[in-house]
Amino acid sequence: MSASKPHILVVDDEPNVLVTYRLILQQQGYEVSAAISSEEARNCLQKGGVDLLLCDLSLEKQQSGFDVIHFGRSLEPKLQAVLLTGYASAEANDRAEHESIPVLFKPIDIQQLLQTIADLLRKNNESRQAHGT
Amino acid sequence: MASPQMRMRSEAQQPAERERKAGLRLLGAERSEEIFPLLLEEIISLGHRAGFVARVDFETSAITPVASLNCTRGFLQKQHTTLFAMENPMVRILHTLKPEVIPDKPKPGANSLYVHPLVYRNRNNCWEAERANASTCLAVANFHCKQRLNLPDQICATCDMRAYAAVVCVELKPAAKASDISQLGALIELANRYLSRIFKVEHYYNRMTDMETTIGQMRTVLESMADPVILTDGQHRVITQNKAAERFFKLPDEVSEGRVRAVELNNLLFSAALSSMAVAGVDSSRDMTLVDAIEGEEVLFEAVSAPSFGADGRRTGMVTVMRDVTELRRADEELRQNYELLTAAEEVVRQDRDRLNLIIENVGDPIVVCDKDAKIVLVDPLAQELFGEERSERRAVHMRNQAKLDAYIAAFTYSFSDRESAPLHLFSPGTEAEVEYDARSGKIYDERGMVAYTVTVLRDLSAVRRLEQLKMERRMLEMEKFAVAGRMAGTIAHEVNNPMEAIKNCIFLLQDSIQEQAQPVYQILKTETERVARIVRQMLGLYRNTEQVGNVDINTVVEDTLMLFARQLDRSGVRVEKELDDLPPVVGSADQIRQILSNLVVNAKDSMAQGGRLRIRTRIAKSGLRDMIAITIGDSGCGIPPSMVNTMFEPFVTTKGERGTGLGLWIVKGIIENHGGKLKVRSKVDHGTVFRMEFPLVQ
Repeated sequence: MSASKPHILVVDDEPNVLVTYRLILQQQGYEVSAAISSEEARNCLQKGGVDLLLCDLSLEKQQSGFDVIHFGRSLEPKLQAVLLTGYASAEANDRAEHESIPVLFKPIDIQQLLQTIADLLRKNNESRQAHGT
Repeated sequence: MASPQMRMRSEAQQPAERERKAGLRLLGAERSEEIFPLLLEEIISLGHRAGFVARVDFETSAITPVASLNCTRGFLQKQHTTLFAMENPMVRILHTLKPEVIPDKPKPGANSLYVHPLVYRNRNNCWEAERANASTCLAVANFHCKQRLNLPDQICATCDMRAYAAVVCVELKPAAKASDISQLGALIELANRYLSRIFKVEHYYNRMTDMETTIGQMRTVLESMADPVILTDGQHRVITQNKAAERFFKLPDEVSEGRVRAVELNNLLFSAALSSMAVAGVDSSRDMTLVDAIEGEEVLFEAVSAPSFGADGRRTGMVTVMRDVTELRRADEELRQNYELLTAAEEVVRQDRDRLNLIIENVGDPIVVCDKDAKIVLVDPLAQELFGEERSERRAVHMRNQAKLDAYIAAFTYSFSDRESAPLHLFSPGTEAEVEYDARSGKIYDERGMVAYTVTVLRDLSAVRRLEQLKMERRMLEMEKFAVAGRMAGTIAHEVNNPMEAIKNCIFLLQDSIQEQAQPVYQILKTETERVARIVRQMLGLYRNTEQVGNVDINTVVEDTLMLFARQLDRSGVRVEKELDDLPPVVGSADQIRQILSNLVVNAKDSMAQGGRLRIRTRIAKSGLRDMIAITIGDSGCGIPPSMVNTMFEPFVTTKGERGTGLGLWIVKGIIENHGGKLKVRSKVDHGTVFRMEFPLVQ
């Protein structure tokens, strides 16, 4: 895990969306991993070193973003995650709020996305520093 | 007048001379009563002893002595008898008209009695019968009468004279010879001839006197008549007229020119009227206006004329009676005018009644009028169908309806309210199905303020109910359509969303590598993509929020929304005024209501580019019978152009050009209607717009 570059895992079942997010985040200077399915995402998470998880809510085959986030948090409880969705039911919304997962609705305003990512990573950093010292 | 031969026969001359003298004496009698005493004197002078005359009273049939000479009172008393005492020789002789000497064979020493009957008789017709060419004259009939005299018939058919009958009884001188008796008979006959003449004259005198009396009476009658009466001859000349007529037709003693003219005019008019009426021949009448010669007033007369005829049946002239009908005509006229007024008034009443009937007929609803005891007094044909007719046979359905109506009307009649409106469920006589009526009733009071009548109009609500049902169905359909549209929009948006996401990300990635000359194209690409993104976001919002129904506190949603947009509003220079009353909750989706408020607040903000005032007010309002929650959002912005008022709630209609999606108000309206609410807009260009929403309250 490189100390200079935060590692972000992007999960989306739409290849083009996945690619463009990866490119944007790389352009912003993050280290980006991309997963097209929940399975890939789990593999990636198991490798460890993921600072932030960007996950689409609806994934393939009844898998939801919550499952991926839960999996990630089961490995690393303090894992920061953002839920991306084109459509969120009120239940999903409430659940995300309950689990303190920010939700961004597609079409996503990129500036807002970048801002949210920056905020979460800074929070991550701060807690880690507090924890470390 | 003596002849030479008579003088020479001196023996015979003496009796003849005596006869002549007796005749002259009798002729000198002026009155019928004088004849009998004269006759008796002459008889005595012939040497006879005594004599009397008894006369028949035809009224009583009594025979009474009227004149006597040398008779004792006692003897005369015994001579009273009647026409029916036939055993009396005197009566018998009167009936046979034959003179007799009784007794037939006188005893020596006893005096014979000569009895001579006298009746009105003559050889020739009297002059009146002669002149009238009458075939019967009582005098002649009696003269020729050989048989018994029919005494009660002694009235002449021609001259109407009542004849007389009498007997002359003479006590003959002793040893009277037959010549003495015939001399006596001749003397009595002569006297009778004079008597009949005098009698006749007296008859005429009596008749004349009677006539004068009659004429006098007629005159009195005529004069006492207030109406003018005029008798005219064949040439329409006035023969006689009464005083009332003179007033109009006779020149008064003191003449003035005006009066002369009036009288002349009246005469002219009268004779013209007579001429025309005379043609008719029978009774005729006509109206004529005459001028009162004394008063100078015009008087309207009704003249009735009848022709008068003589004894021979020829027309002699006319009798005209005129009746003053001025007052009568005036009364007639007044009566006619009153009648016309009455007719006119009646016409007005009739028209009113017709109009009322027309109204009742055209109300098209059953009408029932009841009296103060809630008894039906009047129903229109429609109501008759419902409740049946009194006379005709009524079916069970009529009875049921009647019972329901009676209960309702009785309750209303004895209640204290002036009017009443209540639902009444009756049964259709045709289908027996239940029909809902709206019964509206009013009371009619009499002058004492007591209920006199109640009027009830029944309105068939089935049409209204059907319309309401139809409206409801249409609303449901609209809502369904909106829901379908929402779901479809959501699905489309969802499908478009991911490609959109990729495109948008690509545009972001490319932003630094676009060459200078490609920048405008790139910008178009960017803005249009952003626009599509907005549309998709709106559509998704709609879809996303169709669930989650619960009790919503409107004020909280309003506060949330205003907080969300507080920064933007502040930046645009919009001042916010809130006026939030305490509200009960409404049933609905908080998310959807938030979306409505967001859309409207954004619209308001966009309409006030130069800043302004945004007013949000919530309160409880009455809408019809139900309480509603009203939310008003008013701005002081540019307003909605009139051309857009009709289309503003349709999808994809926008005033914001490329910045708007044209979906905002469409969604607002759809959501409000989904909540059973209403949306109203009031807007004036350059002054602002007010949206008012009403949501039904949770009871």
